[in-house]
Amino acid sequence: MSIQQPPDNGAENSKSPVNIEAVTPSNEAQTKKQPPPEKPSDVRRRSHIILSFWLIVLCLGLPIWWKTTTIYRADLPLQEMLDWSDGKACRPVFPLRISIQANALQEQEAQNLLRLTQHALDDLNDFSGHHLRLQLAPPSATEHHDRDSVLTIRLVPGDTTTAKFDPHEPVLDITYPPNGIPSPTSSSSPLATYVASQLRSTFAEEQATISYLLSTNSIPSDHRPQGLPSDVSDSLSKRTTRSLKYSPTYHLTFSLFTSGSLPSSWDIDGAIGEYMKPVLDVLSPIHNFTIDTQVQLYATPGVQNQVLNKEDLSSFINAAEWPLSPSIGGAPTVNFIVFVGNQTIAAPSQTPGDSDTLGPASHSWLIPQWGTVYLLPLADDTAHLPAEALKQPLLTFTSHLLSLTGTPQSGSLPLRLSTLSRIRSADLLLRASSTLGSLARLALALPSISIPSRVADGVSKTMHHLRLACETLGGPEGLAHARIAEAEAERAFFEKSMVGQLYFPDEHKIAVYLPLLGPVAVPLVMGLLNELKAWRKRRREAAEAGREKKRE
Amino acid sequence: MRQFLSLLWLSLFSFSIFASAADYHEQLNLRPLPLSSLLASFNFRSNTTLDDFDKGNFRFFPRSLAQILQHAGTRELHLRFSLGRWDAETWGARPWDGAREGGTGVELWAWLEADTDEEADHKWLTLTNALSGLFCASLNFIDGTRTTRPVMSFQPEGDHSTVTNMHLLYGVLPHEVVCTENLTPFLKLLPCKGKAGIATLLDGHKLFDASWQSMAIDIRPICPPGGECVLQIEQTIDMVLDIDRSKRPRDNPIPRPPPGDQLPCDTSKPYNSHDTCFPADHTNQEWTLSQIFGKTVKGTCPLADSTIPPVCIQVPDSRSVFVSKDVHEKKNPDGLSRCFDIAPSTELEMMLPRLDEGASTTTDIVTPETPLLYAERSFTGHGQERGGVQTILRNPSPDTAVEFIYMESLPWFMRIYLHTMEARVAGHSHANKSLIQQVYYRPALDRARATQLEVRMRVPPASTVFLTYDFEKSILRYTEYPPDANRGFDVAAAVITILDPQPETIGSHGGGAAKSARRFAAYTLRTTSLLCSLPTPDFSMPYNVIIFTSTAIALTFGGMFNILVRRFVAADEGPEAGLAVVLGRLKGRLRGMLKR
Repeated sequence: MSIQQPPDNGAENSKSPVNIEAVTPSNEAQTKKQPPPEKPSDVRRRSHIILSFWLIVLCLGLPIWWKTTTIYRADLPLQEMLDWSDGKACRPVFPLRISIQANALQEQEAQNLLRLTQHALDDLNDFSGHHLRLQLAPPSATEHHDRDSVLTIRLVPGDTTTAKFDPHEPVLDITYPPNGIPSPTSSSSPLATYVASQLRSTFAEEQATISYLLSTNSIPSDHRPQGLPSDVSDSLSKRTTRSLKYSPTYHLTFSLFTSGSLPSSWDIDGAIGEYMKPVLDVLSPIHNFTIDTQVQLYATPGVQNQVLNKEDLSSFINAAEWPLSPSIGGAPTVNFIVFVGNQTIAAPSQTPGDSDTLGPASHSWLIPQWGTVYLLPLADDTAHLPAEALKQPLLTFTSHLLSLTGTPQSGSLPLRLSTLSRIRSADLLLRASSTLGSLARLALALPSISIPSRVADGVSKTMHHLRLACETLGGPEGLAHARIAEAEAERAFFEKSMVGQLYFPDEHKIAVYLPLLGPVAVPLVMGLLNELKAWRKRRREAAEAGREKKRE
Repeated sequence: MRQFLSLLWLSLFSFSIFASAADYHEQLNLRPLPLSSLLASFNFRSNTTLDDFDKGNFRFFPRSLAQILQHAGTRELHLRFSLGRWDAETWGARPWDGAREGGTGVELWAWLEADTDEEADHKWLTLTNALSGLFCASLNFIDGTRTTRPVMSFQPEGDHSTVTNMHLLYGVLPHEVVCTENLTPFLKLLPCKGKAGIATLLDGHKLFDASWQSMAIDIRPICPPGGECVLQIEQTIDMVLDIDRSKRPRDNPIPRPPPGDQLPCDTSKPYNSHDTCFPADHTNQEWTLSQIFGKTVKGTCPLADSTIPPVCIQVPDSRSVFVSKDVHEKKNPDGLSRCFDIAPSTELEMMLPRLDEGASTTTDIVTPETPLLYAERSFTGHGQERGGVQTILRNPSPDTAVEFIYMESLPWFMRIYLHTMEARVAGHSHANKSLIQQVYYRPALDRARATQLEVRMRVPPASTVFLTYDFEKSILRYTEYPPDANRGFDVAAAVITILDPQPETIGSHGGGAAKSARRFAAYTLRTTSLLCSLPTPDFSMPYNVIIFTSTAIALTFGGMFNILVRRFVAADEGPEAGLAVVLGRLKGRLRGMLKR
């Protein structure tokens, strides 16, 4: 076995004339018998067979496989979504129109005063997103507050310069001394400065809140004022974490908990009607409230100490046993609990920021985004709680409700509420934008997640309403659009069918494909390789033959 | 049973009197049963006026449940959690005439206010999902395939004269295992929370150790004549405790057979030697409340109506019952039951002493009432495909026929052949067409709707009727099988509603239009649930199929491809192949290495 044949690539490539030449002059003793040369038509047919197999695999198999196993990903406007979350798509601007009613002044004087005040305001203001624009109310206008403007300033001649809010309407009454009217030529006036500073202090909180909201979201820094004092931003962050997520409806649940069997009834209906209803009515344009009440006996609190420390307050609610289950339906529940017991709350710790959490008499505390607990000491044999005994608890609940809904703390009530609606719309707008951004980042980060068309629908709806909300920011439509946008964005983000595909590991695919594709692919690939080799050999031989011919 | 019934009526009647005086009432009824069992029936009932309900002011009525009812537009609700089997042969008729019990698992039926069927379905979905959260049960699995709309079997118990667009929906989960996590929310609904009154006896360890137990919640509006309409919630727990089993010490709960010399023997039987023993059926032993329930009754719930005695026991007057002091015993005039009044802060302990040896066994307990009908249901059929159901209905009464509605809601994968349904009196070989009077049948839709079968039929006096039908088992899709597919699929209990022959007379006895509506059913019973085994595939099948077909395809494809592209030459013309070539190459290589 000393015959070392050149490695042969198969029977088919031993037919060319060169090959035969190479073998025939061999001087070896036992020449191997060679098969007859193959017909060129056979060679061609074999090439066609291999080619057609590969064509079927590539043109039919691959597309079908691709079509049937691909994960549906709806087209999302990713860049636009990221723009929204980066704040590039919308610049939140709150143009606030303030009308001035100065029926006692001449048109010319009033215009002059207006110009000076506007100047003073613009000098004071450093936040472009929150702009106060003054306008003169027509003198013939009625006493009533103009719907388009957020605040009406009523200038009335008087003895000294005073400012007073109307308790029922967003109207600021300013009296001025007779000599306070600026002359048409003067470039400054004490009255104008006074009005400007009044306005600024009125809207300072709103401005701070909105700029805080913008700063916590990734709005580019040139859109927001710099240098929000750290204590202001601390208290604002505390307030925003405390307030409930915006919802058009809130369930208010009043519960009377007692550790024994008494008292077992209370006149809560009357007490709510007397002490709480007025505030609820005022809030009704922004929120709807549903009210229910319950009495729960034999309730043991989570903490049994006589004196409750700050740490105890968070575990006082016995969530396992007290039936405070969240309400069904979309609206969140605000819980107001009257606990009959003579526990007391330990003096609040030294941090000044906490002092407003505890009630004045330290009978109550507010649980952020949840509700309020009020400890009511009672004689042991009280069987029925009359409405008068509930006055203090309900007043506490009312003030806590305002802070739970996120109402600002200064100003007259109507003004606070209109501020609330602006803050809420800004908040919702930013929330929806950041949800969009998260969705876009998620879609980019997980290439194997499926994106159903519902998500794309939700995104386009969200962006439509966001655009509308951005245009009408500050008005009631703005709030409505922002609300829809936020709901749609949440729905798109939490789409259920997006999650299922995530947990299908790639190893499973290998386990399914390999047994089928492996054995099929090996002959196909080997056939192709052999054919390519044979083809190259044929070409080389043909070239050599041609060269020899030329030489000849 | 008549006594029990009369007591029931008495309490119902007294309730209608005191409805305005007190809005909460609770009562525990104890009834010793044969074979040393004890039936304990807890009943809690509270009312709220519909006005308060609509305004959301809740005192006795649980707010968490009320909110669900309001949200889902539910007018009347019945929810049952049951476990075990009521042994009618031994224990006789069921408590509350079977009106406060359900089939094994969870059963829910409700009347919803809705204008269209779709709206009713939507509200039903809301209701089941919310209740599932409240009671920690898988009620959210009551979907379209487990929901039916019974036509004949149920009638509203409450007063719904003002509402016209009510829809009745019925769902059942036979597979659900009722356990402590369902009892805790149940107790939370009570005004006294199981901290005072008879509810202090309720303990998950004892309740779910019982031979049979049923928890029921019934909510219905009631309009007493001339009074304000109220919404009533009635919570009932019935359990049959095995006294021997319950008396096991807590620290040594494993039951062990007693030594031979302590085995109670039936002394009425003749013995030929002193070392033989027929174990006595009903061991006559004493028991106390704290032995059986593990605790005593801690006072009364201060909210409860004080005119209704909280604890009653049904034993003949001739037996003495010992109670702790400050407890006032009051014997009822029928001579077969007595009640106990408890002061608000005393603990009630009760002891039923062992009977004297000489006393006859018939007087120690009140003989259980014979039920109106006995029912048993079982599977027949053969193989993986053909199945059948046979229900044996026996009327024990010697002179009265029983007319009833037999209702089944079968899962869609049991495809029944309605033409095979027949009723046959035992002893006759042919079906008797007159037994089945009316059939309401709503066929199943695959994966969408359950089969609903309601049969109105009658059983002649002192006879046994076989109701049989065949069905075909369908094959489920691979993903539709549960993880424990080989265990089988639970089929819900059949509900048998025995119609009241003369509603008018009983209605006048109860005194009120609401009462006569209540007496639509004289007695309700449920069969046991069944376990249907479907043809179950080998669950590694898809992978086997993949591997097998892949191998086959690879073999054929490879062979075919090679035949197509290879050139065939004579054996001596081809290149050398085989083991010799490989060996020769190896040798050459080795030689080369050695030379180096």
